[in-house]
Amino acid sequence: MPKNLEVKSRQDVISWVFIFPAALLLLITKFWPIIKAFILSFQSGVGLNTSFSGLKNYARMLQDNLLHISIFNTFFYLLLQVPIMLIIAIILAALLNDHRLKFKGFFRTAIFLPCAMSLVSYAIIFRSLFARDGFVNLILTKLNILNNPVNWLADPWMARIVIVIALTWRWTGYNMIFYLAGLQGIDPAVYEAAKIDGASAFTSFRKITVPLLKPMILLTSITSISGTLQLFDETKNLTNGGPANSTISISHYIYNLSFAYSPQFGYAAAVSFLVLIMVATLSFIELKAGDRR
Amino acid sequence: MKRKLGLLLVITMVITMLNGCGSNTNTNANTDADASNKKEESKSNELTVWCWDKNFNIYAMNEAAKIYQKDHPDFKLNVVETAWDDVQTKLTTAVTSGQTDTLPDILLMQDNALAKNITNYPDTFVDLTNSGIDFSQFAQYKTALSTVNNKIYGVPFDSGTAVTALRTDILEKAGYTINDFKDITWSRFIEIGKDVLKKTGMPLLSSQAGSPDLVMMMLQSAGVWAFKDGKLSITDNPVLQKAVDTYVELVKSGVLIEVNNWDQYIATFNTGKVAGAMTGCWILASVQASDEQKGKWAVTNIPKLDGIDNATNYSSVGGSSWLVLSNSKNKDLAVDFLSKTFAGSTDLYNTILKTSSAIATWGPASTATNYGIAHEYFGGQKIFEDIIEYGKKVPKVSYGVYNYEARDAIGTAITKIISGTDKDSALKEAESTVKFQMGQ
Repeated sequence: MPKNLEVKSRQDVISWVFIFPAALLLLITKFWPIIKAFILSFQSGVGLNTSFSGLKNYARMLQDNLLHISIFNTFFYLLLQVPIMLIIAIILAALLNDHRLKFKGFFRTAIFLPCAMSLVSYAIIFRSLFARDGFVNLILTKLNILNNPVNWLADPWMARIVIVIALTWRWTGYNMIFYLAGLQGIDPAVYEAAKIDGASAFTSFRKITVPLLKPMILLTSITSISGTLQLFDETKNLTNGGPANSTISISHYIYNLSFAYSPQFGYAAAVSFLVLIMVATLSFIELKAGDRR
Repeated sequence: MKRKLGLLLVITMVITMLNGCGSNTNTNANTDADASNKKEESKSNELTVWCWDKNFNIYAMNEAAKIYQKDHPDFKLNVVETAWDDVQTKLTTAVTSGQTDTLPDILLMQDNALAKNITNYPDTFVDLTNSGIDFSQFAQYKTALSTVNNKIYGVPFDSGTAVTALRTDILEKAGYTINDFKDITWSRFIEIGKDVLKKTGMPLLSSQAGSPDLVMMMLQSAGVWAFKDGKLSITDNPVLQKAVDTYVELVKSGVLIEVNNWDQYIATFNTGKVAGAMTGCWILASVQASDEQKGKWAVTNIPKLDGIDNATNYSSVGGSSWLVLSNSKNKDLAVDFLSKTFAGSTDLYNTILKTSSAIATWGPASTATNYGIAHEYFGGQKIFEDIIEYGKKVPKVSYGVYNYEARDAIGTAITKIISGTDKDSALKEAESTVKFQMGQ
């Protein structure tokens, strides 16, 4: 390295050199495929017989009944599951952060463990839990809550609810960890001061914990929203999209378009960009809404 | 100025590095190519095959290799266990991205997907019409499935001939025998089914909710499919209407119970919750899983649709065929291997029948000694002989490129009809869904 460079420039160069390999990898493995997919989304046809068709794929989405069903399902999961999960996660985090609680490590591990599980295997386990002769029916009938076993996965709404339950079980602990980390940054003195002023536990949760965790709430809701919009493993393995497409997610539909049916990669790419636009818009709105300081 | 200099430096570095990388990869690629060329020479007697199911297809392939090795001692076969879903995904990815060198020499394909893949990926599979394989010796309905534009692409393998397998002990309790189910119509089947249900509390059949298999089986039994001359035929298809009505009646009458997935389906007859199974004959391998039920099963043909011309008691569900890839370096070897084994060895079929119950669709195989065996599990019935006879009468249909789309849409329609939607609107929706998918 030439000696006549100033220290700052030299540091700049060094940092560029360090960033470069990662940036290059990102460019090749992420951005290049995204650009290729974008180009692909302007082609239509089946298998190898494709040709350029302009915006046809994007116009086609308006008439695609199955796509509309999959969007409806995905937003159902999103609107029901994300708030429930984040509220449970934040409550659990607040409880686990209480210094009077014993066996904290055990509880934290227990709640976080579902995240260590493979998506496919937990979906299959939920499938057998909610089978007609599965564990859930067994417990509910033994406790006399149900007279007859319910065929959960055969009813459109019940099947959707089972997916929401499964998702909540799998991801609550993951989000809780973020909140726990955020809570470490809150000075216990703030809580003490509130206590002296006569604030109840609920008031200090509402007035201190939630506002101070705002950046974390923002982060977790953006990751959860983008995760839910890309939901695939659960619907593929738990219900396989059924009954009658009532649980199929957008990503699952993209998979069907590409691999189960006669492959329409151009159209599948266009639908993927629809998901991208949705994620981007929702995250943008949320950032704007969350940024009102 | 100095900052610019820094930037320039970085850019130079990047370029040299990229160049370095580039030339490196080039040389690597060259040496790779050299190495694989060398490998090719020494490995010219090796074939790679993708198929699934250790106890069935993989086993059969390995037995075939043993037979071929008798005349070709240096022949080697490398079977890569690949689940069907993965075969389809890998094939689609490799062909559409142009990476066909990642594909094997031979792969096994579900009959359902034959027309779709052969049509969508022209020139990917070897046209076997004039390869020396005598296709007239195979069951006609099987070769029809891999025929696209009058060219035959697949060597048929296991039979999907539809059978009705029933528990004779349960039938006896209700006062019936297996012969009461032979050559009957669906209305008679449902009539007996209701009676059996009343007397023993047991449904005759089960199926996976949302699976159109039984309805599609009924379609083929009348020589019809969801496509007519390449055009979609759902709402204007009287056979489909009749098949849907029949299926719905089976469910409503309780003669058939629906379960959610495949494992539960197998469990219904293995644990004695239903008195029978009706699908492709490959199901008999699963039927035999329960030792308690040994000797209590029997097999007959399927019922035929009422009031439909050309309706028969024979059909097919599932089954698969071998395809040779055009990109294979050992195309000729692959074709020769298949023609001497799956299209030419009675011994092969004799061996695999005994251990894995893989029933041939190759005519001469029925002369093999094991086909005449009285099967203990099925009360001494010569089931293989019977199934081969059924197979000869299965009507020919072509499944078409958009088979999966049509099957899914019909499955969805059936689920909706059972949960209360009116039949006409459910089928109309199915038709418009498939039409949309075909509109690319």
